[in-house]
Amino acid sequence: MKFGIFYEISVPRPWTREREREVYMNCLEQVKLADELGFEQVWAVEHHFLEEYSHCSAPELFLTACAMVTKNIRVGHGIVVCVPEFNHPIKIAERTATLDILSGGRLEVGTGRSATWTELGGFRANPDDTKKSWDEFVRCLPKMWMQESFSYQGEFWSMPERTILPKVYQRPHPPMWVAVTSPGTELDAADRGLGSLGLTFAGFAEQEKKIREYRRRIQLCEPVGAFVNEQVGTTNFLFCHEDNDIGVATGKRLGDTFNYLAAQLISTREVFASRSYQSLGLLPQLRRAATGPDASSEQAEGLCFGDPARIIRAIKRWESIGVDRINFLLNANEVVPQEQVLASLRLFAKEVMPAFATPASKRALAPAAAGGA
Amino acid sequence: MPLFGQLDLSTIAPHLPTLPDLDTHAWALPGAETMQLLLETPRGAADALLPKAMHPAVPSYLAFTFTRCPESPVGPFTFATVRLGSRAGAHPRGLVLGAYASTPEAADGLRRGWGFPASAAKVSLTRRHDRLMGTVVKDAVTVLDCALVNPEAISGSDVQLINWVTMANAPLDGTTSPMLIQVDPKYVFHKAERGRPEVSVFDPAAWNAGPLQPGNPIVATVATVDTDLPRIRFVMDPAKPVYQGTRRIRESRADE
Repeated sequence: MKFGIFYEISVPRPWTREREREVYMNCLEQVKLADELGFEQVWAVEHHFLEEYSHCSAPELFLTACAMVTKNIRVGHGIVVCVPEFNHPIKIAERTATLDILSGGRLEVGTGRSATWTELGGFRANPDDTKKSWDEFVRCLPKMWMQESFSYQGEFWSMPERTILPKVYQRPHPPMWVAVTSPGTELDAADRGLGSLGLTFAGFAEQEKKIREYRRRIQLCEPVGAFVNEQVGTTNFLFCHEDNDIGVATGKRLGDTFNYLAAQLISTREVFASRSYQSLGLLPQLRRAATGPDASSEQAEGLCFGDPARIIRAIKRWESIGVDRINFLLNANEVVPQEQVLASLRLFAKEVMPAFATPASKRALAPAAAGGA
Repeated sequence: MPLFGQLDLSTIAPHLPTLPDLDTHAWALPGAETMQLLLETPRGAADALLPKAMHPAVPSYLAFTFTRCPESPVGPFTFATVRLGSRAGAHPRGLVLGAYASTPEAADGLRRGWGFPASAAKVSLTRRHDRLMGTVVKDAVTVLDCALVNPEAISGSDVQLINWVTMANAPLDGTTSPMLIQVDPKYVFHKAERGRPEVSVFDPAAWNAGPLQPGNPIVATVATVDTDLPRIRFVMDPAKPVYQGTRRIRESRADE
């Protein structure tokens, strides 16, 4: 089991001149500490126009800053929206290669297609086409990174032969993932040999079924890249505290805030009738969670807040159903004060990480984690 | 937290429909044809029409809906509504701003039963080979003329029709006061089509829509459905966040 942190970069109103900068600086401080404590990845989403919920529209810049203040933590660009109105594929290849170089080969590349009308409508993208354009992009990216020269003629974009520069630092190329929210996308990931970057907080039974099918299906995949990235990541909240009641109460406040903000988004399916968006994806779960009484006890059991023992139990359960890594959301709308976020990270590293450490990783655990500094 | 509506309730309370009670009987509406056009609208003006209990949708949007009901307890009728896309807590809702029905009986039933701000008018939903046209003519003046252009067949499962919220004066705990009423029909889809929404005439004053005008088009759908107007289950205090001000009037529907 590996641990990462995950950023939407949620900024509460009122958006004063310093507010967004303060939140960004808090995130950077958390990333720096997470690196020292032995967290393995930091992921940043790409979202646009999602007021308060996510002000992370240029994740490659945030991740570059992360790379500059850290030594070991891998930087996850996740997800890059693979829709031509949002990102030209040449620019994606160039930006990711540059970030891979600047981070010294620490880049992970997540891919996806956006799930909200707020974003797709804002870019005047056609929801009917996003799955198809995503498929084209993920098949082109590895070639653009690896081939000396590249040309392409597709349905959604084309280019004459050119040399796309710079080339990625990692060889053959960075690991590739796909965001899995809608049912069935885990199969799309498996078929293409991509890692499954779960962005759901679903219960164990549903996740276990998805993971089993992903593992089975990826055995017969035709990878879009030079290698198969068979990994299952999932997302969770994190608030770790010595006192379980305080940990649970604070974690619940974090989760409720995130869920309530997320439920305000206009999912594509809500307003745009399309075969391409047959599921509301993450939102129904979050709405249930946000309204409290309908939240299942199973969901609550799987969430990583409380004291270290409770969190260890939750992670053991995720581990038992085949999850390889968990990426933690640390805050939403700054409802958890920065000092408490940092203390939670330190306690997690000191008390929880060792329960999942391999002999090699135990030796590598940073002094800050071991000593609880 | 997300933004809340800014409606000054005192300005509209005297003009809201009044329900005699909250014991409305359901209307079954089999074989109805319902056309819905969604278009974005400027948010600043939209927030001023939204009660403080609710959150604006981001972006704000208007839903123009025409429903032709060949069977109902008050006979065949067609009704049209304009709704404002919004949120009640975490749930998407369409706040009914204005409504017209093609018969006085239907208008009265909608008004007294569920708090639709409905009055009688000439309401029509007409199908041509390349479009479906919805028009509302009130006192010889066209107050809405819109169309779904270039219909193409889709699956009913692709269509999402969100629940309605009306604003009305209604009795509860011995007092009649303004409240929000959730209207949550069920839909069984038999046929569905999708097209481009076009609005050629919209008189916002006739729809209690302030200065709102339709803008960026989203999508239009038309579906043949078995639907209903169910008994009222939830009401909300328009001045409190819904997670504080929601009251359950009766248990969930038997089919839920």
